[in-house]
Amino acid sequence: MSSNVKGVFAHLDCLVNAIHNLKQAGYRNIKVAAPLPRHEIEEMIYEGKPSPVRWWTLTGALLGGSGGFALASLSSAVWPMTLPAGKPVVSIPPFIVITFECTVLIGGLMTLLGLLYHCRLPALDLEFELCDPRYTADHFGLVLTDLSASDRTKAGDIIRDAGAVEVVDNVRKEAASG
Amino acid sequence: MPMPPAAATTTKTERGVLTYGAVNRDILRPLFKPTPLYLMALGAALTAMAIGGTCWAIQLDQGLGVAGYNPPVMWGVYITTFVFWVGIGHAGTLISAILFLFRSRWRTGIYRASEAMTIFAVMTAGLFPILHAGRCWLVFWLFPYPNQRELWPNFKSPLVWDVFAISTYFTISAVFFFIGLIPDVAAIRDASKGTMRKIYAALSLGWHGTNNQWHHYMAAYGFFAALCTPLVLSVHSVVSWDFAMAQTAGWHSTIFPPYFVAGAIFSGCAMVLTLLIPMRTLFHFEEYLTMWHFEHLAKLCLLTGGILTYAYSIEHFIGWYSDNPYEWGIFVFRATGEYAWVFWIMVFCNCVAPLPWWFKKIRTNITWLFVISIFINIGMWFERFNIIASSLAHMNDPGSWTYYTPGYIEMGIFLGSFGWFSFWFLLFAKVMPSVAIAEVKEGLRPPLKSDEEAA
Repeated sequence: MSSNVKGVFAHLDCLVNAIHNLKQAGYRNIKVAAPLPRHEIEEMIYEGKPSPVRWWTLTGALLGGSGGFALASLSSAVWPMTLPAGKPVVSIPPFIVITFECTVLIGGLMTLLGLLYHCRLPALDLEFELCDPRYTADHFGLVLTDLSASDRTKAGDIIRDAGAVEVVDNVRKEAASG
Repeated sequence: MPMPPAAATTTKTERGVLTYGAVNRDILRPLFKPTPLYLMALGAALTAMAIGGTCWAIQLDQGLGVAGYNPPVMWGVYITTFVFWVGIGHAGTLISAILFLFRSRWRTGIYRASEAMTIFAVMTAGLFPILHAGRCWLVFWLFPYPNQRELWPNFKSPLVWDVFAISTYFTISAVFFFIGLIPDVAAIRDASKGTMRKIYAALSLGWHGTNNQWHHYMAAYGFFAALCTPLVLSVHSVVSWDFAMAQTAGWHSTIFPPYFVAGAIFSGCAMVLTLLIPMRTLFHFEEYLTMWHFEHLAKLCLLTGGILTYAYSIEHFIGWYSDNPYEWGIFVFRATGEYAWVFWIMVFCNCVAPLPWWFKKIRTNITWLFVISIFINIGMWFERFNIIASSLAHMNDPGSWTYYTPGYIEMGIFLGSFGWFSFWFLLFAKVMPSVAIAEVKEGLRPPLKSDEEAA
């Protein structure tokens, strides 16, 4: 059974203060929901750590590029057209176009896969503690999970003191999805 | 904990202070409620589609001969319209990807509708090679696939490059578009009830705007923008090679890629103006699609239109300077021969008509913006017709010279393409937010307690 505490904020500075104070108090498992990406939140939670999605893009681009060149070259080798003026079977300039297109295509599709994998999408009921229609409009949410009863009380006080407009102790899945 | 400096953008508008909640309310308001004007527009689009569909059915029944093709002119309105729609499809990804990397703040209000325009324009363009192929059921031969006879497309042919370029451009632009929509679809989900809520919940993929989701989302978005940037510039370069790689006089030119890319951006930005100006009024988006956005689009048109005028001039100069009678002959023919009317419509619409935009008073006048954008749309279609028809009708052998004009089948299908494009765009405008909610909020000053206390 999950034990959590949730805070709803109408102001960004209050949310940032809450994250700061919770981190000072030693809480680490902080989750935030926001209607837009804000660098203040990103910097406080990830502290400059980059997303691993970049490796998906790089892998896809390398695979796509080499695959595209291989497709053009090997299929030309299977069906060699000996054209006049000594054109080679594997001709770099025209195959660069195919290589480039496949680099972008597979790089892009792998980026999409990476995004879905790391965002854990599609997942309709994941992180139910952060489900709140206000978070796609004009409020910010903060949740701490897996807390003991005393930690919940202490964290709830910090969140309230930072300026939360609402603090909920132990959000239930049924209540969140309803 | 001190707050970093807030965005410099003022959030005050003519109607007061713009808040995050107001952005959701204003942008979601036009959804799902069709007005009589909207239904009329949809009816017109469906009628145009029906005309186009009927013409295509006649062509399928009777063969490509009804399309007015007569050797040596075997590329006519279909390829002209294909290039026209691919060109229109350039502005959306340019605005969403390239301007994102340049951190141009004016893109936020217009990029969603521009991206939608791109997707639907490329969908429309994609129909034309199928129509042009005649036996459309064999169009899969264009793609490389393992087959019993071990036959492969000729990867040294610019036509195969084009297949790869257009399909990659469509796929990546569509993915980029749908990724951009996810947070806004979640906003619709949270603002709706019942069945609509379930549909949008599925379409939003379970997005809740968590820090984990935004963290990876923004990284992926940046990579998509980086991938799309060279793609935007490459697509029309590859399209231009369909012509430039041929030995035909008037086509075989090294300036074609930049010339075509500039033309594509020029026509795409004009089409964005043509679409967004009525949308602004009909959907009451005055606070989101401002004169500031339109003026930037007009400036982009002035820049690319200037490049285009230079390209027209320099290709004529090169034709003369080459001392090649066939090359110079085609340029003289374009300006003075049977197709001179096409040439001069092109010159007037693309080189002369946008010039009043050099005056701020005119480029900030909504009527002038709309009227000139229409001229550019017309001019850019005629530009492609000028390149294609005149060169083919007047090739090296005078005995084969002919005069090609489109027949009713081609014009019906041309009209149908506008119906098809408009149908998708109108549908999009009623079921998806035409302005990017989350990105508009990024341009606003965030809600701060310190601001309220100071007030």
